[in-house]
Amino acid sequence: MTLRVGPRPLPLSPNIHAHKKIMHLTHLSLTNFRNYARLDLDFSNSITLLQGDNAQGKTNLLEAVYYLATANSPRAHTHRELINWLANEDQMPFARLEAKVEGTDALREVNIVLLKTADRLQKEIKINGVKRRVRDLIGQLKAVLFMPEDIDLIAGSPEARRRYLDTAICQIDRRYYQSLQEYSRVLTQRNSLLRRLREHPADPHQLDFWDQRLVEEGSRLIAGRLETVMELDRLLQDIHPRLTGGEERLRLLYRSRLPLEGKDRPEVYNQLPLDVSSPAGAMIGTDALSSLDVKAIFQQQLKVRQKEEIERGMTLMGPHRDDLRFLVGGVDMCTYGSRGQQRTIAISLKLAEMELIRSQTGEEPILLLDDVMSELDEERRQCLMDAINKEQQVIITATRLDCFAPSFLDQATVWAIRGGRIENLSP
Amino acid sequence: MPGIGPKTASRLTFYLLRSSREQVQALADAIGQLHNKVVTCSMCFNIAETSPCAICGDAQRDGSLICVVEEPLDVLAIERTRAYDGLYHVLHGAISPLEGVGPEDLKIAELMQRLRRHPAEEVILATNPNLEGESTAMYVSQQLAPLGVRVTRLAHGLPMGADLEYADEVTLTRALEGRREM
Ligand SMILES: [Zn+2]
Repeated sequence: MTLRVGPRPLPLSPNIHAHKKIMHLTHLSLTNFRNYARLDLDFSNSITLLQGDNAQGKTNLLEAVYYLATANSPRAHTHRELINWLANEDQMPFARLEAKVEGTDALREVNIVLLKTADRLQKEIKINGVKRRVRDLIGQLKAVLFMPEDIDLIAGSPEARRRYLDTAICQIDRRYYQSLQEYSRVLTQRNSLLRRLREHPADPHQLDFWDQRLVEEGSRLIAGRLETVMELDRLLQDIHPRLTGGEERLRLLYRSRLPLEGKDRPEVYNQLPLDVSSPAGAMIGTDALSSLDVKAIFQQQLKVRQKEEIERGMTLMGPHRDDLRFLVGGVDMCTYGSRGQQRTIAISLKLAEMELIRSQTGEEPILLLDDVMSELDEERRQCLMDAINKEQQVIITATRLDCFAPSFLDQATVWAIRGGRIENLSP
Repeated sequence: MPGIGPKTASRLTFYLLRSSREQVQALADAIGQLHNKVVTCSMCFNIAETSPCAICGDAQRDGSLICVVEEPLDVLAIERTRAYDGLYHVLHGAISPLEGVGPEDLKIAELMQRLRRHPAEEVILATNPNLEGESTAMYVSQQLAPLGVRVTRLAHGLPMGADLEYADEVTLTRALEGRREM
């Protein structure tokens, strides 16, 4: 009974690519973005190094590049602060981000204007001068960002991990973004209806439509996440031992509120597998689960728990309640990992994400490294450097230059950032 | 007022200030009469000058066909196509739990009553192709099932998320002609 136009398009990122596409960001202009009233910066095709003290705007610059790739800030809940606080005095506060890109005709120029209206932040996007929607932008320019706050991905809330996973998948599968948007709209409506039914009991068949749409989009999201988690898990088997001197074996667990094992064990999400010898136990059945399998389970569970959902006035299961956990030797690192372990896991995860983008899209993502070098020991630093492809564009920020090898500095264009201003330090 | 921003409003005010006293009084009277002259049609619940409205009262139109829409403006949009000669039923909204609009807030019970009194052969659900419109269409079709009337939905072609009101005539005609059984 849907009114969709034609069949859904195939994912835009097939696995096999005859030619590797390499995109470079050549120029960035910012207006009223964070602490930059005005900034113009040319980038090197290989390494750009930005040196500056803390709170001078190094992170904001990487955030801007990341925003141009994902239309999203890596720092949750601060979207309104994207606009320079001085501009907030203006009648129509706005921020502008502009980038010039080389390497593909589909994307030569990106322009994002953020407008502050009474109740929200409005985004206006132009690609090559033509007005576009967010979903047209996402996944065009690909970027992977490493920042000290990444440790919150491991130590922080499930919400942060869901958000990370969703943003990562959006970069390789554009359809995923559409499902994500639709799912959140359906979820809001369905929660309102559940509350309404709790307060004024009425025909629960009113839920039918919202259940159907929730299951449709939700299963697509869960299946997409399972596939990506499986792939990241596979890549981590090679990456994480290298970062830990072969000592740690890291496994990912997608923890769902739905009994994805296919067996009637809804309590499974409370348990963590302790059997290291079969870490796949964490993901039993999930490797074979298609969106159709998830759909059947989701549908059945909504029926079984309808009364409970009405009593609670909220949707109790679905991708918005799931979590991603990190296990070393069967121990949950989100809860029991040391700070050092959590930090290393975060780096492994980002390296795996970079590999994922390469293997799924055949493209080299722009690598954004925010002040991560100084926190790493020599071995891990080398490991990170080894993961960089020679053709890859890298933008690094650092407080000091002495943690970089001279050979590395020779390849880099170095800029100094002081109080939102930039000067060239390269010879 | 919808469609009128502060700039337009001040332009209108200045225009009225420059107009003669008689002209302004005439406009004021017309606005005062608005609610007296405009009624809701007791058959189709469209906004009209008479009840039953000109469409419901037109013997030339096909009474066995009822097109269910969300708003009076949707009737205008479909009338513009000149491709439809049946009757209408205006729900005055779409189901949206978020905005507190449930089935009981729409003219759905009235539609059921109307169909029991004057059975039709086909009911076309022409609610908007967005979540709320789809949800309304599904609910109405569930309600209609026991009546045994043929229920159809506008065909593909209207962009998902778009408003019927803004669809161009060719697209809308095609959507009407290609309607499918629900
Ligand atoms: Zn009428």
